[in-house]
Amino acid sequence: DIDITSSPKKLPAGFHEKAKSHKTQRVVSVCQMYFLDYYCDMFDYVISRRQRTKRVLEYLSQQRAQKSLGNERLNEEWTGYLQKEHEVLRKRRLKPKNKDFE
Amino acid sequence: MRENGGPVVTDFNYTPSHQKQFLQPAVGTTVSSHQDLKQIVEMTLGSEGVLNQAVKLPRGEDENEWCAVHCVDFYNQINMLYGTITEFCSPQSCPRMIATNEYEYLWCFQKGQVPVAVSAPKYVECLMRWCQDQFDDESIFPAKLSGQFPPKFISKYVVQMLRRLFRVYAHIYCHHFNEILELNLQTVLNTSFRHFCLFSQEFELLRPADFGPLLELVMELRDR
Ligand SMILES: [Zn+2]
Repeated sequence: DIDITSSPKKLPAGFHEKAKSHKTQRVVSVCQMYFLDYYCDMFDYVISRRQRTKRVLEYLSQQRAQKSLGNERLNEEWTGYLQKEHEVLRKRRLKPKNKDFE
Repeated sequence: MRENGGPVVTDFNYTPSHQKQFLQPAVGTTVSSHQDLKQIVEMTLGSEGVLNQAVKLPRGEDENEWCAVHCVDFYNQINMLYGTITEFCSPQSCPRMIATNEYEYLWCFQKGQVPVAVSAPKYVECLMRWCQDQFDDESIFPAKLSGQFPPKFISKYVVQMLRRLFRVYAHIYCHHFNEILELNLQTVLNTSFRHFCLFSQEFELLRPADFGPLLELVMELRDR
């Protein structure tokens, strides 16, 4: 029963009118801005997280070489760091809620 | 909800916390022209491995959390993409949720009931609401820092959500790609879909059968 007159291969009737409408123009530009913002932010997060991890690992192997921290303490520091990163990541997923502004 | 007799438009935007606050203008880093967008998105598509690298689980991170963040991200992306064609995807233009004439996706309104054929906009509306309900369910997507993910979170919840979200990409590609081209959103759509595929591939979340009508495109994007 599919109506092939409005099939995928051609533009729907009144396309250009609708495409030129203020509403469509607005959602298109909101969409482009959203993606731009998203990818800038996402790459920024991924790169800076890697740098943080690298610094922590360097610090820990330094401490290990100097024997200034015991193995247990080194593991605690690493776990503590991962916990903090995990919290940051979880917050990225959540929509801001009013109750968060204490 | 009905505007001037047009299709029902529901704003499902699930605002991610990483969207910049309006109080921080970040002068100099804000890119505001289409040209800049094009460059960045083309950079992500063109340069080898940028997105491939970005989907990798960060060292020491919980796989559940990484997948949960991506579910929300892809949900938002699809919401944005579909939002641009709502004017062209109506119950009249798309009375059934199909992708080519070979695939039709049905919606099940109640557990235990037979899934039924609905129009594409109705399907997307139901799907987006269903995703929101999952995100808001603390026992599935924990918000508190102490909250735990349910057992088998990935195989039970993430896979199901991605499988369904994929269908919106499929409908857009198969039935609205000309509109997307005219609106000059093809790079954005391709980037989003490629990101979605790379992520699914990295964690082996979807099977080739899940990609049904877009299997060839998936292969093409993968080989880029
Ligand atoms: Zn449609």
